[in-house]
Amino acid sequence: MSTTRAAPTPPAHRSAPRRAGGSGADERRLNWRNRLYRFDMRYMPYLMIAPFFLLFAVFGLFPLLFNAVVSLRNYRLDDPTLPYWAGFANFTKLFGDEYFWNALYNTFGIFLLSSVPQLLLALVVASLLNRKLRAQTWWRVGVLLPYITPIVASTMVFSVFFSREFGMANWVLGLLGIGGPDDPIDWRADKLHSWIAIATMVNWKWIGYNALLYLAAMQSIPRDVYEAAAIDGAGPWKQLWRITVPMIQPVVVFTVILSTIGGLQLFTEPMLFDQNAQNATGGPNREWQTIAQLIYKVGWKDLNLGYAAAMSWALFLIILIVAGINFWATNRLSGGRR
Amino acid sequence: MKRSWTRWARALAAGTVGLSLIAACSGQGTKGGDSDSASGPVTLKINFWGDFGLTDLKTKYEAEHPNVKIQLNSGEYNAQHEDLQKKLVAGNGAADIAAIDEGFMVQFRGQSDKFVNLLDKGAADYESKYLPWKWKQSLSADGKTQIGLGTDVGGLAMCYRTDLFKAAGLPTERDQVSALWPTWDKFIEVGQQYTAKTKKKFVDAGTNLFNPILGQQPVGFYNDQEQLQMEQGPKVAFDYTVKAVDAGLSANLVSFQADWDKGFTSGAFAVLACPAWMLGHIKDTAPGTQGKWDIAAVPGGGGNWGGSFLTIPKQGKHVDEAYKLLTWLVAPEQQIEIFKKVGNLPSQPALYSDPAIADFKNPFFNNAPVGQIFPKMAQGLTPQYLGKKNGPTRVEVENVIRRVENKTLKPDAAWAEAVKAAEKVKSS
Repeated sequence: MSTTRAAPTPPAHRSAPRRAGGSGADERRLNWRNRLYRFDMRYMPYLMIAPFFLLFAVFGLFPLLFNAVVSLRNYRLDDPTLPYWAGFANFTKLFGDEYFWNALYNTFGIFLLSSVPQLLLALVVASLLNRKLRAQTWWRVGVLLPYITPIVASTMVFSVFFSREFGMANWVLGLLGIGGPDDPIDWRADKLHSWIAIATMVNWKWIGYNALLYLAAMQSIPRDVYEAAAIDGAGPWKQLWRITVPMIQPVVVFTVILSTIGGLQLFTEPMLFDQNAQNATGGPNREWQTIAQLIYKVGWKDLNLGYAAAMSWALFLIILIVAGINFWATNRLSGGRR
Repeated sequence: MKRSWTRWARALAAGTVGLSLIAACSGQGTKGGDSDSASGPVTLKINFWGDFGLTDLKTKYEAEHPNVKIQLNSGEYNAQHEDLQKKLVAGNGAADIAAIDEGFMVQFRGQSDKFVNLLDKGAADYESKYLPWKWKQSLSADGKTQIGLGTDVGGLAMCYRTDLFKAAGLPTERDQVSALWPTWDKFIEVGQQYTAKTKKKFVDAGTNLFNPILGQQPVGFYNDQEQLQMEQGPKVAFDYTVKAVDAGLSANLVSFQADWDKGFTSGAFAVLACPAWMLGHIKDTAPGTQGKWDIAAVPGGGGNWGGSFLTIPKQGKHVDEAYKLLTWLVAPEQQIEIFKKVGNLPSQPALYSDPAIADFKNPFFNNAPVGQIFPKMAQGLTPQYLGKKNGPTRVEVENVIRRVENKTLKPDAAWAEAVKAAEKVKSS
């Protein structure tokens, strides 16, 4: 019997002659099988792919739309007496809310401090891993270890690492002559230091992951391109930027967009970096409060779910715009073939 | 023939997976329906945090009521409250009895329609048994709905290190220490003496001065018309706090963080505001300091920090059984049992004269008569109205204090900042 799906000959058709003298029941059974077979060919692919769309509808699309509805409502848990609909009041309030703009500023600051060095370093790590190394697998698995470390666990460790009094970061910097025990850096006292600390956590976690993605892409680049370039006198640095990056461009675009989304939704690291994590203010003067954190605070601490929903939608739009810009820019920078 | 069967089976499998995923989302469609059968076993779930001393009581109650099963669900303090809030919004899934801390009470009291009104169940009799302010804390704003009955109160005293006091040339005996600081002004003076002599910090954190002092004021952040009252209690508490921070008395630690815990053993601070439940925390984090601690009165009279309530969310299926269990748990015998077990001080003043509480001395704290000290403090408190936005406002003002502590804000500019931050909360 044919097993390839490309040949949709109904089996009943072929096997019918062999069943000479078959009864009407047999006929009906074959018809039934015939229909089944056609169903299989025509609708099965959709059915197989349906679970994803069902899950997406339940956990993706529905929350998105419901969120939009809530953002147009007065949804205060501590004040149910307000009128049901708020119109666009939540959105207009957003424009005048200095906490929102501060959070936006922080989010972009941390995003730039994390995504840019992260992807550049990942590129360098990947090109190092792409050479002939001893214990190759060990290195490759090694760079992925931060990625599989639970984020809460690593953030807690980093939080101690960046503590003012007994932190290792200050100790190391002290050895280099920066800060020192007399004048330790208070990592939680101003924007720049707290951003650096948080960006370090993000970078530590994601460099290895991105490096492996790059590495996988790099391995599909034919060797002879490099050989030709080497003969023409291109050094490793030039090879990286003129050959490797343009040739793995789709993966670069992918990681840029992914890190944009991740960077703008940053939550756990800034949350747990705060000593008073439950306040969700991201430092006493909101030095490092990100938008995701602010949404959480407005929704579940200030109990204003309507306003939090409006902020979520604003964040959604911002991410769309920034990811679009990044997509365009990355395409431009690395060859612009699309 | 065989092949088409496997295909059919595959199709079926895919369909089943898809359908069961949808079914899983629609949740407890088949549960319930056992609410009417009074004879059948009833399971009551209690959500709380830490140790409420309920383990033995559960066994006892189950033995007395064979048709009741109790499920104790202890979780993390903040997580339990947040979980309850989410279940209340969802309208499904909350525990039969949910413990709520006074810090979260204002938030839930504002949603009193989501809880069983205990006054409907006959809880009005309890009003006379409770500390008046404790009763009022869980009462809705209009006074018509009582959503919870109090379990413990914190009371407030000052825990201090006798060895560090001795080294600084201060008296160590608890009555003499109490006499050192009848007021907060005197307290700051003592602190200045201490830091001048030892070059060490006196108190753990500015915020841990601010909150007790604020609690002693007749008017807190909001008055009962929900108007912000920054010039009242908050101003008094804020000024003392900034004065103490400015004088270098504060170790600038954050409560319940690693550095703070370390401070109990390392002597990073010599004194801290200490409710009844803090005694257990000190004992657990710094077991090596046994006998080095003692307890004195809090400056400025009484005070309270913390304490919990038991509530019954309306969505529960066994509301009557839950109420029966709740009243049993707050009955005197059980409350005294809990005090003996974990040290939580009951909120019914009649129990304070019970020898089990009145004669209790804590060996870890130099045999301090805690059964005398804490009730006195809890009773001396004037009830203060806590506004709906009390929690967020407190967070903002505490943040301003932390900025003074980490020197990113000048002390003289701090008050204006605090008022500004509090007013922003009001408009959020």
